[in-house]
Amino acid sequence: MRKGFVMERTVASWLGVSLPEQFSFFIKSGLFLFASWSILYVLLAAGYPAVHDSLHNFRHALAVVPCH
Amino acid sequence: MPLRTFLPLFGLVVFLGSPVRAEEFNIYFKASPRLELLHPYSDPATLTLLVTGADGRPVAQGSLAIRLDTPKPGRFFSTDFPFVEGSRLLEMNLPLRQGKADWKYLFPIRGEYLLIVDFASPDGRKASKTFNFTIRENRQKWFFLGLFSLALFIFGVVAGRIFTSLGSHHVTGVAVCLLLAVEGLMSLTENAAGQATRQGEQFGWLEIDPATVGIPTSVRWRLAGDEQREKPPALLTITITHPEKSKMVFAIERLAVTGEFAMNFQFTDGAEYRIAAVAFIAGRPMLRTERNIAVVAVEPPARAMIPAISFLVAIVAVGLGVGRWSKGRATKSWNNRKEHIERKQNPL
Repeated sequence: MRKGFVMERTVASWLGVSLPEQFSFFIKSGLFLFASWSILYVLLAAGYPAVHDSLHNFRHALAVVPCH
Repeated sequence: MPLRTFLPLFGLVVFLGSPVRAEEFNIYFKASPRLELLHPYSDPATLTLLVTGADGRPVAQGSLAIRLDTPKPGRFFSTDFPFVEGSRLLEMNLPLRQGKADWKYLFPIRGEYLLIVDFASPDGRKASKTFNFTIRENRQKWFFLGLFSLALFIFGVVAGRIFTSLGSHHVTGVAVCLLLAVEGLMSLTENAAGQATRQGEQFGWLEIDPATVGIPTSVRWRLAGDEQREKPPALLTITITHPEKSKMVFAIERLAVTGEFAMNFQFTDGAEYRIAAVAFIAGRPMLRTERNIAVVAVEPPARAMIPAISFLVAIVAVGLGVGRWSKGRATKSWNNRKEHIERKQNPL
């Protein structure tokens, strides 16, 4: 395992297993996309007043993001 | 009957009974500025309807029943006002003035609108026409969407490279720059009771039903006060403004009415609106009535939100794929170079 994969090395030593690179990428990407979806949903679609009011103009500026 | 006599008679009967006869009135529609130059929530347009007789002269008297419908919902993406899509925006009757009726209107969303006009003359003759026209989206909005999509794509590429290879300081620096760029982009875009003024014996009265986005609301003006007295003719000006956006969304000017006027109007944004009515009555002071109303906003449905969010996440996913591919290529090229140098140094 190479120098920069601190997280992988930590997890591998902790669990005693190491994942194939492709599978590791698949898991990381899945988590990343889920996080992206959640953040985008909160920023652009959720109705929390503080978030909505701050990003109201931004939502309208994107043309395809619905607002109230 | 001889054929020579029958044919002209038959022709006359067909002519009188055909739809051509219905075209004794022609209805024309004009917008100023031109429809191609209009964008949602930019500037109000002056919409004019002209009714002419068969001789081409404007019809002196008559009334127009006007209905304006919004574009139907799109197949995938919604507009920024999904509840307005496929609904009725405006429903009113306007009297003709020198063959014309005009009003000002601010179109709320992009797409193909439907304007249905029914003309009725004082002697009961009728004509109808439907106009379809398209309002284009503001180019600046498409530009921002493109810019935001590009930022998400680069974000995905950076993530793809990080997940594939060594997490170098260079990549971290790019990620920080990207976050700053997104922040910069976001900051760039941030750029009751009825009130009647009593004057003399009669005063103007505005009645507006509770308003909700997506549903037309009844807006009524009447001359109130001394109910026994005959309602004099008045020239009525009604203006509806959106104070938050500092825009006029609807106006009719100096409309000839007798004591009252009513229309159905859809308030398309869940915000505060100001409705002002000014009536000019001969020999009396001007009657001004004003009301502020809060329009009930409606949360967009999931069917409108999910496609947009999914589209943006898909861009991130494509970026991830491209990042992994580019990193893989770079690593392969680096390994080949390294191998080549090693071979040079140790030929055996």
